Amino acid sequence: MRWLKSWKTRTLLILAVVGPGFITANVDNDAGGIYTYSLAGAQFGHSLLWSLIPITLALIVIQEMSARMGAVTGKGLSDLIREEYGFRATFLMMVMLVAINLMNVVAEFIGVATSVELFDVSKYISVPIAAGLVWLMVTKGNYKSVEKIFLTASFFYVCYIVAGFFAHPNWPDALRATVAPPSRHVFSNKGYIYMLIGVIGTTIAPWMQFYLQASVVEKGVTAREYKTSRLDVILGCVFTDVVAWFIIVACAATLYVAGQHNIENGAHAARALKPLAGEYAFLLFGAGLFNASLFAASILPLSTAYTVCEGLGFESGLDKKFSEAPVFYWLYTILVGAGAVAVMFIPNRLLIKVSVLSQVLNGVLLPPVLIYMLLLINKSSLMGKYVNSRIFNIIAWVTTAILIGLSITWAMVGQ
Amino acid sequence: MVAEIALSSILGAPVHDGSGSVAGRVREAAISPQHDPACISDLIVKTSEGDRLLAAKDVISLQGGVIKARGKAQEWSPLVSSDGLLFLERDLLDQQIIDVSGRKVVRVNDVDLLPEQINGNIRLRIGRVDIGLRGAVRRLLKGLAPKGAVEALASRMPEKMIPWEAVDLIETDPARRVRLKLEYGRLSKLHPADIADILETLAPAQRGAVFESLDQGVAAEALEEIDPKMQVDLMTSIDSDKAADIVEEMDPDAAANLLGDLPQETSDDILEEMEPAERQEVSELLAFHENTAAGHMTTDYIALPPDATVGDAIDRLRAFEGEVETISSIYLVEANETLVGSVALVSLALAPAGTRLSSLTPEHVIYCEAGASEKEVAEMFDKYNLLALPVVDEHKQLTGVITADDVISILRSRL
Repeated sequence: MRWLKSWKTRTLLILAVVGPGFITANVDNDAGGIYTYSLAGAQFGHSLLWSLIPITLALIVIQEMSARMGAVTGKGLSDLIREEYGFRATFLMMVMLVAINLMNVVAEFIGVATSVELFDVSKYISVPIAAGLVWLMVTKGNYKSVEKIFLTASFFYVCYIVAGFFAHPNWPDALRATVAPPSRHVFSNKGYIYMLIGVIGTTIAPWMQFYLQASVVEKGVTAREYKTSRLDVILGCVFTDVVAWFIIVACAATLYVAGQHNIENGAHAARALKPLAGEYAFLLFGAGLFNASLFAASILPLSTAYTVCEGLGFESGLDKKFSEAPVFYWLYTILVGAGAVAVMFIPNRLLIKVSVLSQVLNGVLLPPVLIYMLLLINKSSLMGKYVNSRIFNIIAWVTTAILIGLSITWAMVGQ
Repeated sequence: MVAEIALSSILGAPVHDGSGSVAGRVREAAISPQHDPACISDLIVKTSEGDRLLAAKDVISLQGGVIKARGKAQEWSPLVSSDGLLFLERDLLDQQIIDVSGRKVVRVNDVDLLPEQINGNIRLRIGRVDIGLRGAVRRLLKGLAPKGAVEALASRMPEKMIPWEAVDLIETDPARRVRLKLEYGRLSKLHPADIADILETLAPAQRGAVFESLDQGVAAEALEEIDPKMQVDLMTSIDSDKAADIVEEMDPDAAANLLGDLPQETSDDILEEMEPAERQEVSELLAFHENTAAGHMTTDYIALPPDATVGDAIDRLRAFEGEVETISSIYLVEANETLVGSVALVSLALAPAGTRLSSLTPEHVIYCEAGASEKEVAEMFDKYNLLALPVVDEHKQLTGVITADDVISILRSRL
């Protein structure tokens, strides 16, 4: 019976540590991400699927470093940047993060509005209610309760996997396209390159590193429990890219095959699915988009509030009351409120420009964040024996160089 | 009245030596804690020939953002090692410190220095540490705008300062702690619950460092108030004999709870190192199940025979070695330890010295059995308005006492 007991302890230990990695990776599939993947499937069928495996690996490498730094130092990323690189560097990053995330929050509320409009509910009703829910959940909850809600929302992404089955894709072709890169002539298509860069660009966002490290710290993961945290990160990255795979495959099997290559947003993809894959696929895509948008609309402002408070020295944390951490909760409130208001009252064409600008800023912020992370994780005064091994360093630096190159290109090219 | 000079305005400022030419720029300001922990001992100047130590007594003036010194730059001693020196830019600026007067952990934005003229020499005293907006603005705009403008803006900001005497630095290297004479004398005078709050805010490495430096008695009291998970982390990171010393100073029930939470090996090691009497007490308590009455009781109580007098009781109180503030009643036991009565402290204070204790106890003494559940214990406290509840075994012999603070902890974990 002893092996049973050790499995029980092992599972409890995993459950005690799992959360931050899984949640952060899944927020990747926000309204913008879902749109990008749907578009990739609709425009290029299966020919982009091969990029998912390298992307997952790159994501795991970067996320693992954030989680490791959080567990070993017990401090968030902006804390570390402040202590090692000074006030000004930290302040500039915080300003950009707030700007980027405000625009992202707008994109998420657009996701909420459009997904609910699929069921004929006006955005003037759905957005305020969503904003209210999101605000209440965070101000009235503590870390544990909020984490449970986020984990549930993460699992809800399974609906895309189910939708994928309803689309009746060509399984052998999809699987082959996942492991084998396509023939060379595909790369001469400019649109294909843009799409490829877009898919990579939406996957790794600078704010994710701050959020992951801060939640690992708030959860109280220590260096000893770190290995389980690593498992949490890997599981999260794999799951989120499996979901992405299914989104691409579902759209490829329906929209691409039917010749419908242009979709305007994630909700449009859901609507276009209805005649091709049935009512259920439509519902699943719609509900999936709603879940993803609401989920991201809660996490992005939260991540920003954490990061800014940490870096500039204000009290922060879900376990504190409003009066104990005013800057934290006010920043969160303003971000959610401004995002919701913007979606309701600013015209669409301006909002599209806003989302383009946020991509550009992402591309500008990612290089310094990644470089700081790599410098910090190699300091033995901070990490002790948990610094990067030589092999890991080579992989990490190469991945970073590629990502930086791609994200700068993406920023310059726009969408 | 000498105006304060901000550290940020000195760092990077050009230094003119006795011949009037620019010798270099200020890289650091250093304090030598063994000589004078409140004044700057040297400025580290970056010259073309490496870093040089400019003794503070050789500084003629600091006005106008330019440092004027006497002597030739080549005559200033080169910087050999930073052992025993506290560097303000590296070790203080942007780092976390303990604000003893505010009883929290804060981050340093800037430091205000007070230049004093003594016998024609300048003495740079550390005035106050800036943790607010004023310092933030100065650090942010330094070098970007003319000095006058920066100062004007900064002085409009509300100031949030801590006097240098109320600052306790945090240093994780034990050897350096000794060299810098970091003894946490001021921190130790705070209430244990406040010390525990401060320790809980720190990152694990810093927490361990500060905890190790505390006096055993203070450490034990603070440990009792710390979150159980952090208690475990702290106790597993120090040597068993030191841990044993601390556990011996703790209340037996808190000690038993702590040892019960530790991994078996660690708690065995600690028990081995303890004095036999304390080890006995704690082991007995450890044998009881955590969630019963016996699991929350302490064995530190005062019991006297019923024919003892008030005078005897007060003598016993004076000689009591445990935490005498937790005593609210004295218990009366027969020779075989059976519980027969209880006398409240108030009654002792009001009765004349010769009164027999048996005349001060109520008819029915309230007690509970060792196996009673937490719920029953809480109900009794509520029903009888108790401050303490004696616990007896199956032979009605007094084995321990549950105090109100334990019940409050139980109830809070359910709230």
